[in-house]
Amino acid sequence: MPQSARDKLKLKHLDEINQFNQNFASAKKSLDQKGISLSKLREHSNKIIAAGALASALALAPPQGDHLLPPPKEIIEKVTRSSSSLPVETNAVVLRKVLSQVLPEEPRALTEHEEKTLEQVILETTGVKAKANLEGEHLNTTYGLIGAEQHLRRYPGDTLAQHKPDADEYGGERVDEIIEEGITPGLGAWGYFAPSKEAFTPDLEETERWYAVVQTLYLPDWEKRQPYLKDWYKYRKVLIVNTENGKAVIASVADSGPAAFTGKQFGGSPEVMDYLGGQSYKKGAVLVFFVDDPNNEVSLGPVDYNKI
Amino acid sequence: MSRLFYDHLLDLDELETRVKVITKDREEQNEIFRLIDEIVHHRVVGCILNHLPEEHHEKFLVHLSERPHDKQILDFLRDKILEDIEGFIKQEIRTVAIELLKIVADENSPEVHKLKARTLRKARNG
Repeated sequence: MPQSARDKLKLKHLDEINQFNQNFASAKKSLDQKGISLSKLREHSNKIIAAGALASALALAPPQGDHLLPPPKEIIEKVTRSSSSLPVETNAVVLRKVLSQVLPEEPRALTEHEEKTLEQVILETTGVKAKANLEGEHLNTTYGLIGAEQHLRRYPGDTLAQHKPDADEYGGERVDEIIEEGITPGLGAWGYFAPSKEAFTPDLEETERWYAVVQTLYLPDWEKRQPYLKDWYKYRKVLIVNTENGKAVIASVADSGPAAFTGKQFGGSPEVMDYLGGQSYKKGAVLVFFVDDPNNEVSLGPVDYNKI
Repeated sequence: MSRLFYDHLLDLDELETRVKVITKDREEQNEIFRLIDEIVHHRVVGCILNHLPEEHHEKFLVHLSERPHDKQILDFLRDKILEDIEGFIKQEIRTVAIELLKIVADENSPEVHKLKARTLRKARNG
């Protein structure tokens, strides 16, 4: 970033804080007394939500907004029973219907109880062992908005044209749509996938094709727990479910973002977004859970409900 | 969980795109994201305090300190302000976005034009 722009932005930042403190001196005093800094509002919110989740886990207090959900099997049976139009519904339809009953209308932080219910529902309908909390790690949120990302640079010299899928690969019949989003100007949070084109393997090609973006930069302990967290999240498998249509994809975490001021919590590669919602799908509500796959047996890409 | 009561009113994609283009590494990018986020917090809370009658300031600040993620804060504000507070917040966010884009992008860049056009369109549509 040009030094002048960076300096200007820092000055504006200081100026905004000073202006607020001058214009709203009593509010500033009140916030100080409460131990709140507006600059740290997001971190403060993190702590409060985390404390609420802990209280809920320990059953010290009823979680706000958490309606008591029946057992997962009961929810699935009810949804399946209530269907009169078709004798047998696909698991994708069952999952979509269950989600419409379990999830709040608008994305918000889910309670542990809601997440546990969803883990069971996902296992029953997709066969994927999905976890909101894996090895003690939890995303900032498991229910939020996903936005369309660009292709990532995979090795030095990689170009957008080289991301065109072959005829037998996903999107091979509509190449232009797949490369429409373009390629990122810089590198992903973990740099190149391979040090050279020669070292670039088919596995890494799949990793970039089906990549997800999560907000590791806003994890409350991200800075403190390095390099462990950076290694832990690198190419970590996640299950992404479009809550509107029940379509699900297994993706690997290969970048950090999006910025909080976009209003989105997750990002998906052009292929991920295309599969979840079609070519025009740029933003939508999704569930994102870790995939419990210690032996690396779960393939990246669309979840095939027919295999269950 | 990074959630604030007004997060659903944020959609500054153009700003994110521009920052990604001009930052040299991920560390710098994250630093700029944080600066922008903090600027937006101050402007949004300032906007609310400007529109909210002073006798309700303390109650709002208590809500903000105790449940900053809770959208019910907007219900409280709607009740006390009796005007379209979400509209005011959105307008403030777009205004600050244009100011920030002018810093991180050229005044005549497509991003600034796009955001200005969007702001005008939203203003016309109420």
